[in-house]
Amino acid sequence: MNKIFGLALGILAAIGGFVDIGDLVFNTAAGATFGYQLMWVIPVGVVGIIVFSEMCGRVAAVSGKAVFDAVRERVGFKAALGALVSSEVVNLMTLAAELGGVAISLQLLSGLEYRWLILLAVVGFAVIIWVTSFDWLERGFGYGGLCMLVFAVAAVKLGPDWTKVGKGFIPHIAHNNPTLYAYFVVGLLGAAMTPYEVYFYSSGGVEEQWSPKDIGLNRANAIVGYALGGTLSLALMIVGATVFLGHGISPEHLGTIALGAGDPLGKIGLLLALVGILFAVGGASIDTVFSGAYNLAQFCGWEWGRYRHPKGAPRFALTWLVLLVLAMGIVMTGVDAVVLTEYAVIFSVVALPLTYVPILLVANDKAYMGRYGNGRVANVLGLVYLVLIMVIALTAIPLMVLTNAGQN
Amino acid sequence: MSATEFDVGLHVLDHQLLDKDGRRCGNVDDLAIEGGPGEVPEVVALLVGPGYWGPRAGWIGRLAGWIGGGAKVRVEWAEVEKIDSAIHLKRDATTLGLGRGDDRLRPYVEKIPGAGR
Repeated sequence: MNKIFGLALGILAAIGGFVDIGDLVFNTAAGATFGYQLMWVIPVGVVGIIVFSEMCGRVAAVSGKAVFDAVRERVGFKAALGALVSSEVVNLMTLAAELGGVAISLQLLSGLEYRWLILLAVVGFAVIIWVTSFDWLERGFGYGGLCMLVFAVAAVKLGPDWTKVGKGFIPHIAHNNPTLYAYFVVGLLGAAMTPYEVYFYSSGGVEEQWSPKDIGLNRANAIVGYALGGTLSLALMIVGATVFLGHGISPEHLGTIALGAGDPLGKIGLLLALVGILFAVGGASIDTVFSGAYNLAQFCGWEWGRYRHPKGAPRFALTWLVLLVLAMGIVMTGVDAVVLTEYAVIFSVVALPLTYVPILLVANDKAYMGRYGNGRVANVLGLVYLVLIMVIALTAIPLMVLTNAGQN
Repeated sequence: MSATEFDVGLHVLDHQLLDKDGRRCGNVDDLAIEGGPGEVPEVVALLVGPGYWGPRAGWIGRLAGWIGGGAKVRVEWAEVEKIDSAIHLKRDATTLGLGRGDDRLRPYVEKIPGAGR
């Protein structure tokens, strides 16, 4: 039974982490703009996040080290400080975007005023995190996020042209607007391989006090969890393509994305979609706020973790509280959550190598990893994705500038 | 890792410090090394705290160290119990002057209901 419960870690990371506001925005917009032509990017991103997370989880299980421990040890103080600052900035942007998403979902469900709902969400998260154990945070949001499966039902019910869907899995370049197409490729990969998911995943392994005997559990978590997340991404793209493409609608509001499920499934579909989005972006808010606190605490060597309780890790507790308040400040300015999401995803792509490289190095260090070091499969995939990550990190900003952040 | 031979730069510097109770109490921010030219250099102490960040990363390190409060704690090498993926110390953090930020904040955090849950 414990193993089944253990899988919830993967499910939370998948729904709350994989499908977050970044995936909602990029997958639906990609479908609405290019139909099924970008389907192939999703499995590429899913395998990438599986490779990255599996390594991080294994390092955490064997050495008790989370991502930022490894970053500081491996790249030197100066580069690690740079990685910390950039990841905290990206993380805060992402947190603000997710909080905005929570407030939008609550607004659509309740009809109350947006700013009050931001405040309510932040106070709610602070109380929930303060009193709830890591296990229950994980299960609660993980299972709530399963309502997102309504998008998979919607995708099937919409009856897409499956031959065209299948052709979308063959990698190719669109002829009509290759720059915009490339921008979406980078955005989709960035949304799939968001660094905070890995920070949260590896620190979560330490929270759950994984040991080398949990390596099998780690592998199952990473593969099952992210594959599930990837299926939802495919569904979102199909819904985007079927409902919005050709109608000149670009889903610039979270409510529009939920309508994608409401279109074939009626009121119940819309309701489930909104509740699913609420839990998914809510879970992602918790992942990001914890990630920010994990990274700072690990960089400074402070005591950290929900399992230590606020009393045992006061600076860690203060950090996540401060991050919540800062993110609330950003959302309160009225900045558009969807626009903020796009910037957060693109900047996270730029910061990705800073954490990916040290993890690849540590996972290969026989001194800690012993016989649990990277095998041949992990290393071949690890190197292939290293090249891919470098390419998208270098092209992300130029593509964003050239396409005016996907506007043309 | 061999107990008699390890790479100080790779396996000590920037690593996590754990006190005798397993409490995380800082990272090794710098090393105090003694021994002049022609002598065998020896690590005599671990230097811990944001006060040591400046020399390691220029102005951005000094700025980060200043934001972090600039504390400096010297932990003698003799206090090290063992080295694996972390540096284990022989005594508790408070006695060694480590983890003071957490100790100072704890009385306030404890007043909030549920802080021990």
